[in-house]
Amino acid sequence: MAERIDPIELMPVSRHARRTRGLLAILTGAMIAFLYIPIVFLVLFSFETSNTPGLPITGLTLKWYETMLKDRQIQQAVLNSVIVAAIVAVVASVIGTMAAFPLVRARLRFADSIRLLFTLPIMIPGALLGIGLLLTFRRVLNVELSLATVIAGHLVFTVPFVLLIVSARLQGFDRRLEWAAADLGASPGQTLRHIVLPLISPAILAGALLSVTLSIDEFVITFFTIGPQPTLPLYIYTSIKLGVSPEVNAVATVILVATLSVFGAGSVLLRSGRRLRRREAR
Amino acid sequence: MTTETASGAGSAPLAVGSSPVRRPIGRLAPLVPGLLVIVLLFLVPMGFMLVFSFMRTDVNFNLVPDWNIDNYARFFTVATYVRTFLKTLLMAAAVTTAGLATAMPFAYFLVRYVSPRLQRAILLAVIVPFWTSYLLRVYAWQAILGEHGALNQVLQAIGLIKEPSALFIYNDLGVGITLWYLYFPFAALALYAALDKFDFSQFNAAQDLGARPDQAFRLILLPQIRAGIITACIFVFIPILGEFLTPALVGGASGSLIANLVVNFFRGAQYAEGSALAFVIAFIVTVVLIVFRRYLRVEDVVARG
Repeated sequence: MAERIDPIELMPVSRHARRTRGLLAILTGAMIAFLYIPIVFLVLFSFETSNTPGLPITGLTLKWYETMLKDRQIQQAVLNSVIVAAIVAVVASVIGTMAAFPLVRARLRFADSIRLLFTLPIMIPGALLGIGLLLTFRRVLNVELSLATVIAGHLVFTVPFVLLIVSARLQGFDRRLEWAAADLGASPGQTLRHIVLPLISPAILAGALLSVTLSIDEFVITFFTIGPQPTLPLYIYTSIKLGVSPEVNAVATVILVATLSVFGAGSVLLRSGRRLRRREAR
Repeated sequence: MTTETASGAGSAPLAVGSSPVRRPIGRLAPLVPGLLVIVLLFLVPMGFMLVFSFMRTDVNFNLVPDWNIDNYARFFTVATYVRTFLKTLLMAAAVTTAGLATAMPFAYFLVRYVSPRLQRAILLAVIVPFWTSYLLRVYAWQAILGEHGALNQVLQAIGLIKEPSALFIYNDLGVGITLWYLYFPFAALALYAALDKFDFSQFNAAQDLGARPDQAFRLILLPQIRAGIITACIFVFIPILGEFLTPALVGGASGSLIANLVVNFFRGAQYAEGSALAFVIAFIVTVVLIVFRRYLRVEDVVARG
């Protein structure tokens, strides 16, 4: 990689500037440490022998992981979370991708308003969305809360995320590829299937993975829309509220690793998409 | 509206190539399921919230269509609500200030002094915790700030305090620290996106022309990253108005924010009262979001990676 010439290097650097730079470096390091402190503690406590996690660490053990693996309630909660996340990811990817096309391509008069409408559920605090859904389900439709109502709650913010990611990809899409396909006799359906979808697939997949991550971790909306079957975060919340059992830390560590893996896969996909686009641009 | 928005720029050239003839209805069809999700699961529920807020909860916790505005009147007259609401605004303002005050030097340092490769690594380091479970991060702070928590142990070990202190948990300070932690990444990413576009040679030019560094910062840099600062403020301030988990886990009795009052109403099945309070928050949030819609750069803050 070519080293960029920092303009500051070319200027006479005062001692004052150097000190500022040093202070900034320390602050940056401190903020990064700040971000990781809670995560380090979660992981550390999951290996702690004592029933009451705290410093100093009394000894290391894997027993909480064993307890966790044997716990039927946790297994059920994981299963519930996975079911919800899988359905949410599939439905949100399809609906979000479909919506991205007219929003980017049809020159809608109200495109900005529609875009804003899709951004609102991402920005509005989850508690308000959750309460609105709770009211609607319980007092208007009079349906029992279940995993289905949780799925509905998760779609409200995952569809906009997929829409956002896929729109970004579509905006950079070179439409000459489609015109070329059409010139060569491809029907619109064929062009979509063989040209457009393969090229935007990294964005769709990234959207789906993001939906999985968001859905698995979602707590606030789920808190209001959950029935008798808990998802994993709700199970954890209940355990925390009932008094901490250290196996929660083990569960937390596993979730952490799982979420990061999905997230990692997602960002690799997005990046490969970006690289692909750069290559197209050349 | 400005025309620099994506739809305008993205679709302008294709007017030449694509046939404008068989445009309308058919091309909008793919938008329908998405709109249905938003309308049925977001707008309609908000509508019901508004309707219920004018009703009354009877002794059997049923909603009675006995139309009145008492639920709203109560919100503005009962001291607890007014106090908690003002405290929530103050907390949101304080955390936004703390977030900006730390995120600004952080982002500035990254853009100005760090090589692009390391910049990407550090940005990733900022994003990673932010994609790990929100519940678990709040819960971790409970373990850190608590009376027997890590912070107390460390402070005792280095001799700053003798007895375990309850200073950091179950009060506003604990809530503030945790919220600052939760929303710092939003501020950092928004400011980074803005600073990254700034051409620092202007900064040097200003100083060559005799501006002091602080003048160059105030007069040249700040105006150009104004949009990023507003984005950062929105992404920190707005979610705090709806925070109930952090106060519930680390706030204790004295650390409640407005959303905790709403949740308590719903826990107690007082739907009408809760709806009014929730609608007031939703209304404020929506107005702010619509007014500042140009600054809702979700992709700068969230979809980076």
